[in-house]
Amino acid sequence: MSSTKPTIKVRTKDVIAIHWFNAFFWLTLVLTGFGIISGDFVRLAPAFWPTFLQNLLGGNANLVLLHGIGGMVWAGVIGVYALLNFKRVVLPFLKNVLVLTPKAAIADVSSMVITLAHLFGLLKHKSVPPQGRYNGAQRLLGTMIIACSLAIAVTGMYLFLSPMLLDFAGSAGVLGGVFRWALVIHLAAVLLVLLGLVAHIYFAVVEEPESLETMKSGEAEVAFIKHHNPLWYAELEREGKV
Amino acid sequence: MVAKYVMLADTTRCINCKACEVACRAEWDTPLGYSRDWVKEVEYVNAKGLPEVQLFPGRCQHCDDPPCVEVCPSGASWKRDDGIVLVDHAICSGCELCVPACPYEARWLNPVTNTISKCTFCQPRIDKGLQPACVETCVGRALIFGDANDPNSEVSQLLKAKEWQKLVTDEVNIGPNHYYYTAGKAIPDTVMPKLNERHLSGTLMENIVNPLGTLGIGGMMAVFLGAGIKKLIDRRQDVSNKEVSHEQH
Ligand code: SF4
Ligand code: SF4
Repeated sequence: MSSTKPTIKVRTKDVIAIHWFNAFFWLTLVLTGFGIISGDFVRLAPAFWPTFLQNLLGGNANLVLLHGIGGMVWAGVIGVYALLNFKRVVLPFLKNVLVLTPKAAIADVSSMVITLAHLFGLLKHKSVPPQGRYNGAQRLLGTMIIACSLAIAVTGMYLFLSPMLLDFAGSAGVLGGVFRWALVIHLAAVLLVLLGLVAHIYFAVVEEPESLETMKSGEAEVAFIKHHNPLWYAELEREGKV
Repeated sequence: MVAKYVMLADTTRCINCKACEVACRAEWDTPLGYSRDWVKEVEYVNAKGLPEVQLFPGRCQHCDDPPCVEVCPSGASWKRDDGIVLVDHAICSGCELCVPACPYEARWLNPVTNTISKCTFCQPRIDKGLQPACVETCVGRALIFGDANDPNSEVSQLLKAKEWQKLVTDEVNIGPNHYYYTAGKAIPDTVMPKLNERHLSGTLMENIVNPLGTLGIGGMMAVFLGAGIKKLIDRRQDVSNKEVSHEQH
């Protein structure tokens, strides 16, 4: 960090590494995934994109292979990391971000709406309720990303492996039907995450570059935490960390 | 000029010997009970009250605007520049989204390969300068295949010489490249293409998931672009306000 203001270590190197690993694989998998889907009715990217990518890689079969293997590496590495670091990283993270009750969801949605309105100079009279380590929008996004990532990994595995391993024709249409629904769920989950990522990237780059800095160095400015996440600051104070 | 391959079927010459079907099955080694082409036999009582039979040899119509290609998520179904619609078996997942999309019932899931089978106009033979197997075997010379863009080809000459009809309706008109000669008789309804009910999952993906997702992501981008621009304007205003107050002091 270039700043000389007091900072505190809030992220370990492995957490930072897994975040950027996830980001890199997301980018690659989205770009290759949008290249695979070629049919006019179901395509998501403009027609030139599948054509360009398929030509670049010598055909859609190679692209499917790359996407499938990439997907398995992504899910495999994150899965193994989560298992090995369940108590230290995953459990505290889940405790912080999972929005499980309707009450919590309503509270988070309302704080997200106020935050968004403030961006446009609206609802100025309403202040965002004091936030813990993650704010309402981050918690909603986190919950959505966890649920969607699980769905993407499971459906992706089925989409990639089932045509090679299972007998669609011999299953009276059942396995093919599962494939078609897996495709719908896979796509819907990817689109949902992308929706959230637009906001995530905007906040990290434009509104709160301090958080982006934290995701690079692991250090956060104490004053920033105090101002943006007072509940977390209080927690850190109780723990004697600040 | 690129070729435009078409198939002509002179129904007045077809004798329902099924030699075309046998040749196709042998050429493509299709499993028992499956064939890439067929002969439909339609019996009816004509205007004079007499029983009549019409025969319609059929196969994939290699449509100009093929819905089977448009719904295929993987790009396994595709169309060559010469109009031949093909399936890339290395990529076809066997999802069958294309099966109900075809109004000519030309596609089926091959139980041996687990991928989609359909007539390819015998593309490997065409590429070697040969005729499709069904055409070569047709004992009545009812099937004629060739390049409609070549004015000297047999199909071009025949297309000019006779009144040919296509299997199209008000509901289904996707530019089939298969022509039928019936000596002026109307084509029975049973042979005409029909819109099938699509798979619910495909319809959902096409009409809800994809448009909503695209709209949602586009909307989010617009919102945050707006927020970014507003932030820039506010900052500029801040700077100029500060400059003004600085000058006043
Ligand atoms: S006949 Fe069916 S399979 Fe053949 S191109 Fe037309 S829609 Fe596709
Ligand atoms: S089954 Fe049909 S729609 Fe599905 S991948 Fe194969 S050709 Fe494409």
